[in-house]
Amino acid sequence: MKAVVLAAGEGRRLEPLTNRRPKPMLPIAGKPLLEYVLEAIVDAGIDEVVFVVGYARDRIQTHFGDGDDWGVDVEYVVQEKQLGTAHAVAQAEAAVNDAFVVLNGDRIIEPSAVTSVAERLARDGGPVMTVTRSADPGAYGVVELDGDRVVDIEEKPREAASELINAGVYGFERSVFDAISETPPDDAGERGIPDTLAGFVADGGVSAVRYGGLWEDVSHLWDVTRVTGHVLDRDGSTRDGDVAETASVADPVHVGAGTSVDANATLRRGCSLGENVSVGANAVLSNAVVLADAVVEDGAVVRDAVVAENAHVGANATVVGGETDVLVDGNLYADVRLGAVVGDNATVGGGTTVAAGTVLGDGSTVEAGCTVSGRVPSDTEVRRG
Amino acid sequence: MCGIIGYISNEDGGNGRDDEHGGGERADGGPTGGGRALPVLVDGLRNLEYRGYDSAGVALVEDDAVAVHKQQGVIDDLALPDAHPATCGVGHTRWSTHGKPTDANAHPHTDCTGDVAVVHNGIIENYDHLRAELEAAGHAFSSETDTEVVPHLLEAELAARREAATDGGRVDEDGDAGGAESAADGDGEPVDDVGPYRTASTSGGFGDVDVVAAVEAVVDRLEGSYAVAVTVAGREELVVARQDSPLVLGLGDGANFVASDVTAFVEHTREVAYLEDGDVARVTGDAVDVRHDGAWVERDRKTVDWEAEAAEKGGYDHYMLKEIYEQPGALRQTLSGRIDEVAGDVDLDVDLPADVLADVEEIQLVACGTSYHAGLYARRLLEEFADVRVTVEVASEYEFTGGRDPWETLVVAVTQSGETADTLSAMRKAAKAGARTLAVTNTVGSTAAREADDALYIRAGPEIGVAATKTFAAQVTALSLLTVHVGRRRGALSSERASHLLENLRGLPGAVQQLLDASDRLQAVASEYVDEDAYFFVGRQLGSAVALEGALKLKEIAYVHAEGFPSGELKHGTLALVTEDTPVLTVLTEGARPKETLNNVKEVESRGAPVIGFSSYDAAANYLDVEIPIPDLGVLEPLVANVGLQLFAYHVANELGRAIDKPRNLAKSVTVE
Repeated sequence: MKAVVLAAGEGRRLEPLTNRRPKPMLPIAGKPLLEYVLEAIVDAGIDEVVFVVGYARDRIQTHFGDGDDWGVDVEYVVQEKQLGTAHAVAQAEAAVNDAFVVLNGDRIIEPSAVTSVAERLARDGGPVMTVTRSADPGAYGVVELDGDRVVDIEEKPREAASELINAGVYGFERSVFDAISETPPDDAGERGIPDTLAGFVADGGVSAVRYGGLWEDVSHLWDVTRVTGHVLDRDGSTRDGDVAETASVADPVHVGAGTSVDANATLRRGCSLGENVSVGANAVLSNAVVLADAVVEDGAVVRDAVVAENAHVGANATVVGGETDVLVDGNLYADVRLGAVVGDNATVGGGTTVAAGTVLGDGSTVEAGCTVSGRVPSDTEVRRG
Repeated sequence: MCGIIGYISNEDGGNGRDDEHGGGERADGGPTGGGRALPVLVDGLRNLEYRGYDSAGVALVEDDAVAVHKQQGVIDDLALPDAHPATCGVGHTRWSTHGKPTDANAHPHTDCTGDVAVVHNGIIENYDHLRAELEAAGHAFSSETDTEVVPHLLEAELAARREAATDGGRVDEDGDAGGAESAADGDGEPVDDVGPYRTASTSGGFGDVDVVAAVEAVVDRLEGSYAVAVTVAGREELVVARQDSPLVLGLGDGANFVASDVTAFVEHTREVAYLEDGDVARVTGDAVDVRHDGAWVERDRKTVDWEAEAAEKGGYDHYMLKEIYEQPGALRQTLSGRIDEVAGDVDLDVDLPADVLADVEEIQLVACGTSYHAGLYARRLLEEFADVRVTVEVASEYEFTGGRDPWETLVVAVTQSGETADTLSAMRKAAKAGARTLAVTNTVGSTAAREADDALYIRAGPEIGVAATKTFAAQVTALSLLTVHVGRRRGALSSERASHLLENLRGLPGAVQQLLDASDRLQAVASEYVDEDAYFFVGRQLGSAVALEGALKLKEIAYVHAEGFPSGELKHGTLALVTEDTPVLTVLTEGARPKETLNNVKEVESRGAPVIGFSSYDAAANYLDVEIPIPDLGVLEPLVANVGLQLFAYHVANELGRAIDKPRNLAKSVTVE
């Protein structure tokens, strides 16, 4: 049985981190989200994997190559235009022979989700979908069951009829490809898997598998640090690189290869540093995710923040951290823990104070000594006024 | 990473049929006919070369021996008989990250009797313990590899089983009593010999002993990761085992295959079965029997439905593009653990101490092709930062000539493969004259690395595309590290300047990524300027090294006329060729004297030539038809610009439908002078 992984999407809500990489390539504790998905597939005993790629696919292809490093064959099919998850599945038609499982490339799950779908698929045929319980069902696709049968799927309902949500792991037979082509596209011209499933639901044909394991979704910028913390708690510390003896490093943290942490720097729990990162003397990082090639200079304080690839945080700059209210696409999210996001290749000048909730676009520059807050667009320069 | 392959057919031996039918026919039945083991294995190894190419070997099963041919170097250099009657054998291609790729270390490895040959991919973690035990029992080892414990363990195991089975029947000529003893220690599991296993009726040194059971007992003792394939003299069977390393079975008609990757045999069969961790399988020409935890099991048959060649390219159309995109990762490897910005120094594992370097009056860089251009780049850096006189010589032109004291000369040979004949020859001339030599190479234990007094590895990983891309960037990066090493030890480079250069080096992967993120733009530029009469690449200083490299890329993969030279030379001749149909690509960055270069740009612009600028120089914008911005990175900006030139060359060649990974008339490692 093959696994088809949907990894073509951009992840607009995660801008600016997704301006140069697709959402499945967001690093969590040193590995992209998609690698956790692939590991779950491998652990479930599946060794032929089809990645449906599209947006910034070079990032995915360069990281995973032909899958040899994971002992599996990875094949790529391209979804040129992102026209929905069902449309993405349809791109894999030529790459699968018989029944197959489908996973989202940006959700961390455990192998049991894959094995239980595969088993149900083998026993009862498809379609099969996983459901999991959520504290906030209204944010997802809410699923109503009658025994093992799905009776209704409703996307982001105002009033959730159940606490069970679509966990995003599916099992299909090849007949699904006909069903997808018959699924009417929505107003935006997109076809989603739930739309295709709706046709089967009407005939009582969708069987549900209950899943109670780890299920981590990175929907918003502040989820990057949160999910990193959860994964580090689960998997423990990994420390490569060159950490000065006098640096204070708590557990669990991730320190990537070729990374240096200078004298008296402090890494509190939950920090993750990618490869080739430089953390200066006396810098303090707390609940911070720093991507490859970034530099955090001497004495900088970075709390509850994401510092993206090749970004610079100048000496004695302070990312204040803490909880704040953040507006995304017109929705207000209250009390989220988001110190700041410093986009790829952005520079925060020395001594700058970055207020909680600040998002600096990629390539932006903040002059030394500023106080900055809010959203700064890509490639803009912020000067002291 | 290494690659393994095994092949067996049920035809009798004898000189095989010709394999002309292989030319494009994808016969469902796969190959038939005797004597095909050798050509099938060699073809398969060529397809596995992306997994490594620093040594290669095959083992061919004969009635009373296993013929092993192996040596350091690529598969095409392996000395092989023209034909061999074998219908069964294994092969291996190696990429060593630890230990040297010598002939002795090449796979297959054999036991003391020469009756057992093994190929292996993975790492056997407890090999030192096993090796000590085997040596104590009298086994003689001929390599430094972890793998060699496997044939010796198997020898002992088979001998013990033969004695038990025949109740002291036939005795092996060598009478290896020590082996039998050690096997008795490791053995203990009763062998269940029901199931589909059929005893081969052969006359090899190990008679009718159950090889599958012996391999099961041996792999029980191994810790680590492995995919192994075993052949035994006189036995028409392959026995394979897998744990945490890839292994796939190819199921043909009257012939079967095993390999690290489907690409090794996909031209013969598309029917495959994947082994799982802990599986041991016996493969004959017409059967595959798999055991797991002491029981016979079935593994699903599958049909591979994708094009083999596409597989290992990881979704890219060509290796070259894949390797261009691998540059940020490769450069992080080159730098990893070597830079100390705080102290302003580097930590290179080379034996070039201060007292040696203090006496050096001249550094000579010898290299060919792209490596020569890396040398030109490094010359400027060494002269500026390490205050030492540097000459760069095309290796085929090199002589250790007058005016030099060999005791005061350091000769640095730059060669990706470490096997380039011209470069080796130059290095030998220098060594003969008495000069100290250093090899800068991608290939651990290559001839250059072994023969030079010291070696500095660029750590770029295997490069398959004939056109060198990531290795150029990694060579310049490694030579920049060498510059800091030399400059600091000679007292010529302040820790402050060194620290700044190292900061820029640390920023290199991120800057290269920014060019890669602009790939769509370069593709559009290439498609706009694809049909032109000629292309000129100009720059100054570090920019002229990159201009030469940019022109070489375009020439070698797109087959169009391209010339690179210092931009000041335009007005001394070439300007006569500049028209509106000759795009000029120019490097306008730090380290490339952008102000002066811009004057030359104005000259070509006034003659109507389209100008494509790779620029960090704001004043240039008005004079460029296309501006590709280069991030601020000091003297490494031209190296970042070069990534743009690589993408330009790639996309032009792709538009022209060229065979990008294997350009006409060219080979990857040129091992003839």
